[in-house]
Amino acid sequence: MSINRRNFLKISAITAGTLVGSSKKVSASVGKDNFSKTYSMLNDSTKCIGCRACQSACKTRKGFSATGDNAKYDMPLDLNAKNHTLIKLYDEGDDSSFVKLQCMHCNDPACVSACPVSALIKQANGVVTYDKDKCIGCRYCMIACPFDVPTFEYDKALPEIMKCDFCKDQLAEGKSTECANVCPTGAIMFGKREDMLKEAKRRIDAEPEKYINHIYGEKEAGGTSVLYLSSVPFEKLGLQTFDSEPVPDMAESIQHGIFKYFIPPVALYGALGIYSLVSKKKDPTGGGE
Amino acid sequence: MKVNAEPMNKNLWTKWFKVGVFFIAVGGVISIYRFIFGIGAVTNLSDGSPWGLWIAFDVVIGIALAAGGFTTAALVYIFNKGKYSPLVRPAVLTAMLGYGLAGFSIVLDVGRWWQIYNPVLPGNWQGNSAMFEVAICVMLYLSILVIEFIPVATERWKKNEKGFLKSISSFIEPLLNKVILLFIILGVVISTLHQSSLGSLMLLAKFKLHPLWFSPWLPLMFLISAIAVGFPVVVVESTISSRAFKTKSENHLLKGLLKFTPWILGLYLILRLWDIVYYGKISMLLSTMGLLFIVELSLFAIIPIILLNLKSYKNNPGKMMNISMLIIAGLMLNRLNTYLIAFKTRPGWGAYFPSIGEILISAMLVSVLFVGYKVLANYFPVLTKE
Repeated sequence: MSINRRNFLKISAITAGTLVGSSKKVSASVGKDNFSKTYSMLNDSTKCIGCRACQSACKTRKGFSATGDNAKYDMPLDLNAKNHTLIKLYDEGDDSSFVKLQCMHCNDPACVSACPVSALIKQANGVVTYDKDKCIGCRYCMIACPFDVPTFEYDKALPEIMKCDFCKDQLAEGKSTECANVCPTGAIMFGKREDMLKEAKRRIDAEPEKYINHIYGEKEAGGTSVLYLSSVPFEKLGLQTFDSEPVPDMAESIQHGIFKYFIPPVALYGALGIYSLVSKKKDPTGGGE
Repeated sequence: MKVNAEPMNKNLWTKWFKVGVFFIAVGGVISIYRFIFGIGAVTNLSDGSPWGLWIAFDVVIGIALAAGGFTTAALVYIFNKGKYSPLVRPAVLTAMLGYGLAGFSIVLDVGRWWQIYNPVLPGNWQGNSAMFEVAICVMLYLSILVIEFIPVATERWKKNEKGFLKSISSFIEPLLNKVILLFIILGVVISTLHQSSLGSLMLLAKFKLHPLWFSPWLPLMFLISAIAVGFPVVVVESTISSRAFKTKSENHLLKGLLKFTPWILGLYLILRLWDIVYYGKISMLLSTMGLLFIVELSLFAIIPIILLNLKSYKNNPGKMMNISMLIIAGLMLNRLNTYLIAFKTRPGWGAYFPSIGEILISAMLVSVLFVGYKVLANYFPVLTKE
């Protein structure tokens, strides 16, 4: 699939008479089977005590002010332009758990497929990056994201799409993400995806009575960089059930069918042109001329 | 084009024209406000509902209703039904205004509008994105519509102007006449592509769009419904303009146009029904959304097909107008359902309803359509008088 997509992009570019950009960018993205070495985070909901240190550290790093009327304290109900990670509480009597939300950095992200200007890119290290200089602000990424992650600065005249950037500048310096750094209980573990998967399996095997026997994010929607462990059903934490098919697959295969090597549009053009000439011969009074 | 179109040269400053100008002025002020204070200051859009009235009505419905342009052009130039050629110019004018307004509302709606040209730059191209396809095709097709309108302008300038406009018109017209068919066919192809792509946009939202509206066949459904609504739009447009300019109505042509419509609507109806049967969605009809689905299909397809088979509409301009309005209403409901009503907002966020500001902007765009049509048809040879 990813090979096909690469070919498609190259060929469209050639057909349109230029190779600028497209092929270079796609080679920077990750091959579909090779997500073992990408950066990853393991969020273990059973270890989270809801202290929100991650939330606060994330805001501090980005220099965001509080979003509410009370400027000292911030308790948003959902991810927003100034809160790129968020702790939510699921509470049903004895059955309660915290859950940490942020960009999942999907292996095959719907937002990247949606973006008309390549402002969102899946990088080789697993990070889904955003380039505001390319973005036109159409918000199709927000429509497409199955996890409802991207947000938008509705209150600004010159707004941006806002989402967790995986602390990409810190990763470049060899450091881990800020939320993982500050977590006092080890509920957020940072590392390579294959190591995080191994660790998650180890924890489930060690305490099978505590954990639900499932690593959320291993396969969901084609797999995500952020993985979850939980003692309560993931659905209750707001983590929806998805099959393992990447969200863009259906849309892209249909879109590619319609535009396959530009043959269908060109063929339609030819067919209509020929029909126009033929029918004109039959009825010379026809047409506008 | 051998049509005896002429400028209407009527008094423009009528009551409805003034109402239109009023709404344009109000919308203009709100537009300026939006650019200074941001989208949130004018709209009810939020992280819960990223797209609202401006996308669903101004862009998606606007472009679907502009399908009168390419369907009429295809009928006359590709299928060579020459008798309908008096309808081409007004249809092209309506489409040109419609696409221009859709383009303007995209500029209003996108957050980073000063970078709106970015999809054109080859380094940014993103062939997987239906949005990229829509952006490129809408720009291309708007240009083609302008090219298709140039002969109308040159016809006027050749006759009525002196100096530069006259000489440039006399120079361009014969050149353009040789190649115009190539542009017209290109316009039809590009229309089929982006009309379907407006359906493709929602393929990525498969977890958010209600299953009665989500289908892998959305691109085909959007294309067929756009083709189906094309002629009814021409009927409404022609009826309104003949009333406004007090010209003889073109009923003999319009009833001919509507004879194609039940076949296209029938095809659409079969596709929608097959979709809910094949993907096992029949049981969903017994719900509020199911009722909405039935209302939508009744307005757009079932009732119009029955009425168009009764034949009594043929000598009754009022009935033709009503049936066409019904089809247009059905199409509008379908697009609103797909983009807003059946679209699941972010959990925890309330339902979206457009703000006064959003509604007034849409009212401005509709006003520009009517006022612009009247001004241009008054100045250029678009309509036939007799």
